[in-house]
Amino acid sequence: MMPFTRLRALMLAPSSAIFAVLFMMPLGYFFVLSFWRVRAYRLRPDATITQYLAVFRDYSKPMVFTFILAFTIAVVTTLVAFGYSYFCRFKAGRHGTLFVFVAVLTLFGGYLAKIYMWKIILGSSGILNTALIWLGIIDKPITVFLFSPIAVLITLVHYTLPLAILPIYGALRGVEDTPLQAARDLGAHPTRVLFDIVMPQIRLGMISSFSMTFIFCAGDYVTPLLLGGPHTSMIGIFIQSQFGLRVNAPLGAAMSFSVIALCLMLIAVVGLAVIRIFRARP
Amino acid sequence: MLKRADTVVLQQLVKLEGLTKSYAKAVAVHPLDLSIQRGEFLAILGPSGCGKTTLLKMISGFVHPTGGAIWINGQDVTTVSPERRSTNMVFQGYGLFPHMSVAQNIAYGLHIRKTPRAEIEQRVREAMDLVQLGEFADRSVGQLSGGQAQRVALARALILRPEVLLLDEPLAALDLKLRKAMQEELRRIHLATGGTFVFVTHDQEEAMALATRICVMDHGRVVQDDVPEEIYAHPKSRFVSTFIGDANLMEGQRKRNIICLENELEIPHKGPDGNVVCMIRPERMEIAPLDGGKLPSGVTAQLTARLDHSVFLGSYVKYVVRLNDGRRLRIDSRDLSIRQVLTDGAQVRIGWRLEDQIVLADGS
Amino acid sequence: MRAWRNGLWWSFASLVVAFMLSPIVILMVFAFNRGELLSFPMTGFSFRWFADVFTRPEFVAAFENSLIVSTTVGMTATVVGTMAAMGLARLRVSISAGIMTALTVPLMVPPLMLGVMLLSYYTQWLGLRLGLSTVIISHLVFTQPFVILIVSSRMAAFDFAVVDSARDLGASSLRTFFTITLPIIASSILGAALIAMAMSMDDFLVTFFTIGGGNTLPTYMWGMLRRGVDPSINVVAVLLMLFSISASLIGFRITRYGK
Repeated sequence: MMPFTRLRALMLAPSSAIFAVLFMMPLGYFFVLSFWRVRAYRLRPDATITQYLAVFRDYSKPMVFTFILAFTIAVVTTLVAFGYSYFCRFKAGRHGTLFVFVAVLTLFGGYLAKIYMWKIILGSSGILNTALIWLGIIDKPITVFLFSPIAVLITLVHYTLPLAILPIYGALRGVEDTPLQAARDLGAHPTRVLFDIVMPQIRLGMISSFSMTFIFCAGDYVTPLLLGGPHTSMIGIFIQSQFGLRVNAPLGAAMSFSVIALCLMLIAVVGLAVIRIFRARP
Repeated sequence: MLKRADTVVLQQLVKLEGLTKSYAKAVAVHPLDLSIQRGEFLAILGPSGCGKTTLLKMISGFVHPTGGAIWINGQDVTTVSPERRSTNMVFQGYGLFPHMSVAQNIAYGLHIRKTPRAEIEQRVREAMDLVQLGEFADRSVGQLSGGQAQRVALARALILRPEVLLLDEPLAALDLKLRKAMQEELRRIHLATGGTFVFVTHDQEEAMALATRICVMDHGRVVQDDVPEEIYAHPKSRFVSTFIGDANLMEGQRKRNIICLENELEIPHKGPDGNVVCMIRPERMEIAPLDGGKLPSGVTAQLTARLDHSVFLGSYVKYVVRLNDGRRLRIDSRDLSIRQVLTDGAQVRIGWRLEDQIVLADGS
Repeated sequence: MRAWRNGLWWSFASLVVAFMLSPIVILMVFAFNRGELLSFPMTGFSFRWFADVFTRPEFVAAFENSLIVSTTVGMTATVVGTMAAMGLARLRVSISAGIMTALTVPLMVPPLMLGVMLLSYYTQWLGLRLGLSTVIISHLVFTQPFVILIVSSRMAAFDFAVVDSARDLGASSLRTFFTITLPIIASSILGAALIAMAMSMDDFLVTFFTIGGGNTLPTYMWGMLRRGVDPSINVVAVLLMLFSISASLIGFRITRYGK
């Protein structure tokens, strides 16, 4: 391997600068900000945890709701992504890469556009209801599709699915066929092979997909705002409002870091559980 | 289902009846019958594409036959899935579980069968001793060399005491020295366990070194099935004679029980009129300079030729000669003294004893 | 029996594909629909809404801004990211993996948080005026890691024997890079550039907070969503979609064929 020369440092300089100046410093500032106060609409530097206390005192219900919903979405997405990736790797033959390609392509195409479209599809006079009535499955439109947590779930699963497929499929590609045949030869039926041989090898990919999806959903703002309806208050809405009319940046910062911290803790728990469940035995 | 012959331990362990496999465009294995005796070390030998791997996979259950039946120990296992068959396989590339240690790999089969922990530990130790991997129990799979990995794969299969152990090109990935060593190992393990081994290979030397019986396949058919000595000494076709060992082939015509070779030599040999191929092994031919040299007595079939080149190979010399029609023959001689006398381009006399030749009908 | 199970798998996969594609397909249908209402079935195929939208100055301005931002971001992220990937190439894995993980941390922060964080930073600490430039630099934060990842993985599969031969024959580092390395990895770099462009084009949340006045296409669409719905919104959505999908499509194709 090559040494770390001055030339390398030079090459890494611009991106490191961007990382430092445009990410680390804002992050640091934002963190410091979370310990400040706002009085008479002015920022006052301080060193207090008032904001964090406020978060847990006043916003605990939305936080809990957000995490439950985000967790559910992340679980659903990860499972579907796993099923799809499994299909592409083991069942699709030479069409496997095509299916992955199609999925990843839908990654792009507009965050807002997709939210907008689901609003249209799920509405009372929307496409889904119209189709179901036309097919005779229901008589009246189902209103719960839109302006409910279900709408948020469907939309966010749809949006995060392509991103979740990538790490899992990547991990599955690293799983070789011969050990799987060997496991069957030794007496394991296909489900057992999946649990004993495949899953332990893709643990990190699954955790990665879950984490990305979970963090994204926990911090989302537009989807619950446009599709969530009155009962779906997710913390992202409150964070945004601290920077809109309310102008309470420290509170917004405290909220953001609280969300991140809790996300990371939950991911750590889930991650450790997954690693423990899918390990080599005895 | 056939009633199992409980009181008699069947000597014929595996029976393949009319077993065949075809895919959309081609027939991989034509209907064949084969029986494998208990305790054998059978080699299925053939060039790539001859169907040997397909055959092995049908026996292990990974490929569904298009027709025919497989009997193991008196039971029809044709439709039994691989995890329920009493066969176990050592795969090409070994297929070790990358996330498990050596001991965990070996224990896996027992783990599935819910064997008690103490018994697993003991049997794993025995299996590791059998393949001589004593201290490797906790090594991770990624740190193993080719030879070590293969022994783990062997132990993993043998620990389950399968009725038949199948090996898919077991020594293909190893370098020469390691291959020789592993051949010894496999033979030793076979004797120690008394099991029935079936392995697939394209390497005829390996087949001869290991097998008690060789089944030669070509284009989906079994072309000869016998002990190694017989196949070597009496190949039944041109293909077998060139595939196993080296062969000199000469074409001629037979008329009225006399074969005429190279328009020079006439050999009496009973058989139908027509084209024939005469095969002699290089080590069974003799060579001497044309002028001033004499072939040993008893070497009655003789031809003249020109020496192309010779190569000193340590324990013998390989001579390549050219006949008058340009055909090249190879003679392996242990007489190192002749080499001084013979120079490239010299005229020579070559010959063989009639009992050493194999006459094959042309087209076989 | 196995065929039946296979059939299940294919149905599942097709359902997933249909699920992922349906909003996009439906959107296209509506954008070309002649009628006023967002109703089904289509009343006719027409470009009328496309024409209509381009007559609106705010739309055109937003469109221009989107182009400016995404191309600038695309180019800058590519240059910076490629440099970084080259700096990390052939380095001991323990060091390069650490640096790469650090540089990709920005991807793990929710866009909302990134947006508000940068907003506070620009306005409260640095006292900057918000505008296209702040949007551009903000976009770099999350596009640069992608470029680094793509080019780095190309470099991982790169055969350095050609570089060593060139150096052996007397070429300097710089010359070797431009005449030997660059042509070989050009397709990956181009692919990464297009993907960076697509991501920048697509972004709403970060842009929303860092643009101040003015609009890019996504924020313009946001305005339309808040104000009220008229069919031209479909056009904006479709244009957005087509733009980013085609950029990423080309990006993917090139990245794979180049290897």
